[in-house]
Amino acid sequence: MSRKRTMYAVVLILAILFPFITPDPDFWVSSGGTRALWLGVTALSMSFLNRNLGLMSLGQLFFSGIAGYIVAISSVTHNVKFGTSVPLAILAGTLSGVIIGWIALKTKGVYFFMLTLAVTLGLYSFANQAQEITRGHTGINSIPSPIIFGVDFAYVKPLYYLFLGIAIALFALCKFLEKTSFGIALKGVRDNEDRMISMGYRTMPLKMIAFVFSSFIASIAGVMGVFYVTNISPDSVGLARSIDLLVIVVVGGATYLGGAFVGAVLIAVFEAIIQDFTQYYVGATGVLFIVVLMLAPQGLMGIAAQARARRGKKAGVPA
Amino acid sequence: MEYPGEGVSMTRFIFTFLNGLTLAGLYFLVASGLTLIFGLMRVINLAHGAFYLLSGYVSWTIADKTDNWFYGAVAGSLTLGVFGTLVYVLLLRKFQYEELRVALITLGVALVLAQAMLAIFGGDYYQTNYPENVSFSVPIPGLGLSYPFFRIFVLILAIIVAVGLWVFISKTRYGAIIRAGVDDTTMVSALGINVQAVFIWIFFLGSLLVGFAGAVGGTTNSFGMGTDGDYLLFSLQVVIIGGLGSIGGVAIGSFLVGVIGQFATGYYPTFAGMITFAMLILVLAFRPQGILGKKQ
Repeated sequence: MSRKRTMYAVVLILAILFPFITPDPDFWVSSGGTRALWLGVTALSMSFLNRNLGLMSLGQLFFSGIAGYIVAISSVTHNVKFGTSVPLAILAGTLSGVIIGWIALKTKGVYFFMLTLAVTLGLYSFANQAQEITRGHTGINSIPSPIIFGVDFAYVKPLYYLFLGIAIALFALCKFLEKTSFGIALKGVRDNEDRMISMGYRTMPLKMIAFVFSSFIASIAGVMGVFYVTNISPDSVGLARSIDLLVIVVVGGATYLGGAFVGAVLIAVFEAIIQDFTQYYVGATGVLFIVVLMLAPQGLMGIAAQARARRGKKAGVPA
Repeated sequence: MEYPGEGVSMTRFIFTFLNGLTLAGLYFLVASGLTLIFGLMRVINLAHGAFYLLSGYVSWTIADKTDNWFYGAVAGSLTLGVFGTLVYVLLLRKFQYEELRVALITLGVALVLAQAMLAIFGGDYYQTNYPENVSFSVPIPGLGLSYPFFRIFVLILAIIVAVGLWVFISKTRYGAIIRAGVDDTTMVSALGINVQAVFIWIFFLGSLLVGFAGAVGGTTNSFGMGTDGDYLLFSLQVVIIGGLGSIGGVAIGSFLVGVIGQFATGYYPTFAGMITFAMLILVLAFRPQGILGKKQ
């Protein structure tokens, strides 16, 4: 446990120092750091659900998309202040989780996966068609950056630290929830729902709360995306983006909360490096994804855990 | 709101209905391969939309080169049949009983395919020319209007495929072997039947069907970048509404998604996506397993 704490501390210090120690900070802070934090928070909402409920959801971009579009439309088209639009967007995204959850949680496994994918693709086609609202496939561009207490988040470093703060807070909140009796009951549902029911638990409300919580995280990520990318279009919730997210979660390690960020950093760095060859890059991530799924379905975090266990065994320490 | 003349709105209604019905035929062709493979093997192929698009490109290329629609359709179907079989043998077979892992791998395949197709064919939209001998229109009695025969032909094809699949699976000896092989692989193997070969044939047939759908759909509708996601969505909607794994379910799902979707697009274009989506939610609220689906 103390080793884990040391690791968290090291990662945290590195993350805080990152803008000062990276070469070419103008490029890497934004394209590496800020981007990874945004993708990581989106992926965290997926990992939380997968880890605690055993459900792989592709619906997270639906919630991100709802929240993102609300912020974009209200601030660009209707001049609403962020102080109003951001809480409203997060609330709307979170509440849409109630409707989707009510339907999707009746299913399991691959059905749940398919259904949530259909939900996200449905938003994609709506965003394309409803041109009067969403401006169709051009999307909504040049969304202004927020200014909070005189700090302009159009600058690279303030935005990075804002995102870092959000990521840490949400990660800690997930960890905290897992330790509460609610979190323990969730794991019970994941491992054996029938037994939980026979023990007198009403499992549907438990699953619902977890699902809506994950849509809350995804909605925050949606707002982060709008501020980071400064535009939103149907492609923000399209098939390719959904798969990208899945790649992050799986490559990082889908049963670890930290896997979301490990995967996000890896993919963000990877993308930044071969930005100039974009045509081949997505193919490359796809191949990486398939290889990881076939050889190491637990992802990088899983590989690390296995290596630790093996080292422990060699040294005679019980793993 | 303006009310156009009675005749005009009637014509519009009939045209919308016919478009919806023929589109339903196309959706059936697309989704039947997906449901066939899942129903028999519990393997869900999320590269289905990418398969559809790939066949569109292959059929277009061959039809363009040979000036013959039929060659294009055969090439598209066979290419996909072989390609799908290779994906199954090389990537999926080992994990056949881990449903979610297989679904994820097929999404990876979809990603790689989409990018490869974009690199080769670019972002333009394509549409294969109608085969010459069926490029005429049929008059609609009583309205003095006509409707392209090829679209009606698609509907007829869908019905033929539906009946053919149903007869093949539930009435023939091969169908019986397939069903038995799925229910009890070990027992059927013990009877001296090569179950692995049976599975390969199912995958070949399912991929062949989506290949054929790509050739046909690439003629009635344009296709290009993003079409893979669209058709994956249609197929998912169809099988989720109709019930995964059931041929009859696909028929019902295709009809609902095709006709209602077409009316929504024709009359309320802004909310078309939402209307289909609301229908999906409504069906699932009452039947989580889909209209004809078996309880999970």
